[in-house]
Amino acid sequence: MKATLTRLEAADFINRSFKPLPRAYGDALVAAARTDERIVTLCADLTFPTETEAFRDELPERFHNVGIAEANMIGMAGGMARSGEIPFCHSFSAFITKRVLDQITMQVAYPNLPVKLVGFLPGITTILGVSHQAIEDLAIMRAVPNIAIFEASGPEYHAAMVKLALDWDGPAYLRIKRPETAPPDFAHQTLEIGKGVLRRDGGDVAIIAAGLCVGESLRAAEQLAGEGIAARVVDMASIKPIDRDSILQSAAETGAIVTAENHGIIGGLGSAVAELLMDEGIGLPFKRVGVQDQFCEGGTTPYLMRKFGLDAPAIADAVRGVMKKKKG
Amino acid sequence: MQPKHNLEKLEKTATKLRLHVVNMVAPSGQGYVQQGLGAADLFASLYFAEATLDPANPDWPDRDRIFLTTAHNTAILYATLAERGYFATDRLDAYVADGSPLEINASERMGAVVEATCGSLGQGLSVAVGSAVAAKRQNRASRVYAILGDGEMQEGNVWEAAMFAGSAGIDNLCLIADCNFVQCEGPMNRVMSLDPLMNKMESFGFACQEVDGNDIGALLGAYDIARTATGKPSFIKANTVMGKGVASLEGLMFHQLRFPPEVAESARAELEAQL
Repeated sequence: MKATLTRLEAADFINRSFKPLPRAYGDALVAAARTDERIVTLCADLTFPTETEAFRDELPERFHNVGIAEANMIGMAGGMARSGEIPFCHSFSAFITKRVLDQITMQVAYPNLPVKLVGFLPGITTILGVSHQAIEDLAIMRAVPNIAIFEASGPEYHAAMVKLALDWDGPAYLRIKRPETAPPDFAHQTLEIGKGVLRRDGGDVAIIAAGLCVGESLRAAEQLAGEGIAARVVDMASIKPIDRDSILQSAAETGAIVTAENHGIIGGLGSAVAELLMDEGIGLPFKRVGVQDQFCEGGTTPYLMRKFGLDAPAIADAVRGVMKKKKG
Repeated sequence: MQPKHNLEKLEKTATKLRLHVVNMVAPSGQGYVQQGLGAADLFASLYFAEATLDPANPDWPDRDRIFLTTAHNTAILYATLAERGYFATDRLDAYVADGSPLEINASERMGAVVEATCGSLGQGLSVAVGSAVAAKRQNRASRVYAILGDGEMQEGNVWEAAMFAGSAGIDNLCLIADCNFVQCEGPMNRVMSLDPLMNKMESFGFACQEVDGNDIGALLGAYDIARTATGKPSFIKANTVMGKGVASLEGLMFHQLRFPPEVAESARAELEAQL
């Protein structure tokens, strides 16, 4: 028999194999809580995956892990908010929206309380499969009155998520994807309620994207530039309220729009943009990139982005399609 | 009296299942090793002795139903299904590979052998209760087993299902709590204790037993008693030890263990020596 490890040796190997990731959101939440006494943090047994371990350790009297019991977490947050606190509630996107929708509607949204719902694992990008994927959370949350929806396109915007949530005087839903590996150094960027960020300018077509699809859209735009197509990319971090001005301006200046989101094509960012254009009587070549009307599966992020048509090549194809219609 | 089951053989089966768990998780490091090792005796006793199943016909209407509602404990589930003959053991190599139906959370992409897709915790017991009620109405002999994690029992949905089962006296239902005392945050009592769990389940109308969940003989005895309960659903609190069967991992409380190659290699050597 080969030499085997002792329990102590095994534990040591295991402990050393944990690699820390940046915690831009979690650290920003702690910093905000230091200056705003009203902020409390709730989580449903996902402390590390929602970056709330620093809050737990530094402000333990204002941190509650309520156990694997999301519905109770939202109800408790309602009670705390009615008592003057600002609860930030954390789970994965699927559970912080779909699982607790009725509690959100009645105990948070209807009384218009400052409860902040923070969902990690947005969209399809998780190995954990259909139960942990959120491809309809934006559609559902957009339909609930009073709730603002913000999505970060990368870790440089994670700290800004905390500020947006606090700037919005009511309930908010934050959609945040943790980096899976340590990203290169980044500088924190700011965001504003109701404002997108022009990430790349271009006059032929506008790609209005959110979350993980912003990076893919930028890659697509780079590729398209080589084909003589100048694509602008708008990072629509404020999904509700949406940036009407920038969408209408993009429509007027480019005459063709593609939307891209880590979400189903029904009811999310693409639908929000289409609704605005129709309401304004604007018809133009238009295509939504997102998960088609289907359930997905667990897998690595690049595999899923490819398979379900959310990656740069899929976005570039959609752009080529609208450009053909524009010229046609 | 001749014992009904060959205990030694079942224990050997459990060791084989453990070796599969280690081999399945080692390549990617993705998977729940400690929970799989801890639950191996439960799976061996349930799938290889207690439950009436037909691997050649996974959707046989008179089968016993086993709902794994802690659906992330899939390394041990798939190892069990393969060894039980539902599919070839070489398919285990595709565990958590892109495109493979052997996902980290069990889904019905696997076919009827996954009775319901349960990765969202706390939902499975309701489905188990529903299928137990249906089996009764259809006069089937099927028994329905639901394996829950103790952490999962913090979900309110579990207690709605339990209240119905107890109130309606669903006696073809057996709820098995795989109690390893650990949730994501760490030991359960650091977050929210279930104690006194036996009293809770008794008061919900269950016939309750507490056993060593790593003692196959004790588990078989508990299933026997559960089968004789009339007018009440059964509850078996199976106390399991994380990492059981691998001395270097036994009792290490990691919900999500990274699985460095050195540790996997040592675990493999330990288990191979037992076979």
